[in-house]
Amino acid sequence: MTIDLENISKSYGARKVLENFNLEIENDHSYVITGASGSGKTTLIRILLSLEEPDSGRVHLMGDYKYPYLNAGVVFQENRLCEQFSAVQNVVMVNKKNSVKVAEEELLRLLPEDAIHKPVSELSGGMKRRVAIVRACAIPSDMLIMDEPFTGLDLDNRIKAIEYIREKQGRNPLLITSHDMEGLDFCRRIEL
Amino acid sequence: MKIIKKTGIVAFWLLVWQLLAIIIHNKILLAGPAESLNALIQMAKTPDFSASVVTSMLHIVAGVVIGCVLGIVLGAIALKYRIVGEFISPVVTTVKSVPVASFVVLILIWIGSDNLSTVIVALVVFPILYLATTNGLSATDDKLLEMAHVYRMPSANKIRYIYFPALIPSYMSAISVAVGMGFKSGAAAEVIGQPLLTMGNGLYRSKINLDTAEVFAWTFTIVLASFVVEKIFIMIISIIKKMFVPASANNQAVNNKDEEVQDDN
Repeated sequence: MTIDLENISKSYGARKVLENFNLEIENDHSYVITGASGSGKTTLIRILLSLEEPDSGRVHLMGDYKYPYLNAGVVFQENRLCEQFSAVQNVVMVNKKNSVKVAEEELLRLLPEDAIHKPVSELSGGMKRRVAIVRACAIPSDMLIMDEPFTGLDLDNRIKAIEYIREKQGRNPLLITSHDMEGLDFCRRIEL
Repeated sequence: MKIIKKTGIVAFWLLVWQLLAIIIHNKILLAGPAESLNALIQMAKTPDFSASVVTSMLHIVAGVVIGCVLGIVLGAIALKYRIVGEFISPVVTTVKSVPVASFVVLILIWIGSDNLSTVIVALVVFPILYLATTNGLSATDDKLLEMAHVYRMPSANKIRYIYFPALIPSYMSAISVAVGMGFKSGAAAEVIGQPLLTMGNGLYRSKINLDTAEVFAWTFTIVLASFVVEKIFIMIISIIKKMFVPASANNQAVNNKDEEVQDDN
């Protein structure tokens, strides 16, 4: 699939966060968006997901795209997990096709066995982040979008997570925002 | 220790009551606890007593259930469709502010006394559950709802994993209030409407006979019935909560709102 972001501009009051931003997102490609805090990385993701309207410009979901908005596996800036439920339940709940067995297998790729059945509220920040990554990758989607997915992960876990994401990405496009380029050399870098 | 302390406090007030009854020395003005207990025992021996208790409880519980269902369903619809909420809002305000006695008289004229307490209790319970539903749903974490939207989460899962944990705490307190209010208003409706073989009718007959001990006995019976029904309702909600919401769960919204990704290295 191809997503065309055309002349996207967005302001909050007097503060302009995006100005005539253009990007063509294609299958088999990965993108990392970098920039200082407040440079519009999260806003761009929200516009891409149709959670916000741009002031001007358009997001084209090219071809005969069957959904009204992008079907993406998403890691939000905050984890947005149902804290009282286990990691397995958090992965299962988002899609009818996700079985407990598959969720367990996927989570064990990034988390220790004793962590996946505990309520998420009892996990560390880094573990929660990994649950959010697995959740995003475990649903059938047309694109992976991850807003600072590696926050709180040490280098080992970061590399493991990147390998996992790349494997799950398949031919779909991947868009990551990150302050840190470590391990993301395979991505096309876009500075905001 | 706690039980001894509580028993001591109850015994103290029973003693005060008994002393006042002795001082006043007029059974019509104030019957003592011993006389009231005796009246309760005598009443309990009659077949009408159990029939009255069962009839009243069934009517009041039916009213509580109807009020709960109406409040929950309309509360959910009102939040989903703002226009419906705007139409229901004045009804809720009216039902909340109009004295129960006015409703009792009106309903008595419209449908008679047979199902009067059921309708009155439903009217009293409805706004309590309606507001608990709208407040509970309004307090649901927007970020989780946005996540559910992005992930196209199935509606049943959205209800179970996002709405349910947000609603259960407000339902716990709302049900407790609703049952208490239901019994009070149901008994009041029965006193005014006087349907036969009901606790309210028994209370009314005691008043006519100036039998204060029986008035206390009926009052105690109504309070006990309310207590039992409240406990049963709370138990049902607790079972539902245990089935669907894990124990560690009550701070979900807070956790998500305050969340900061921390290093676990």
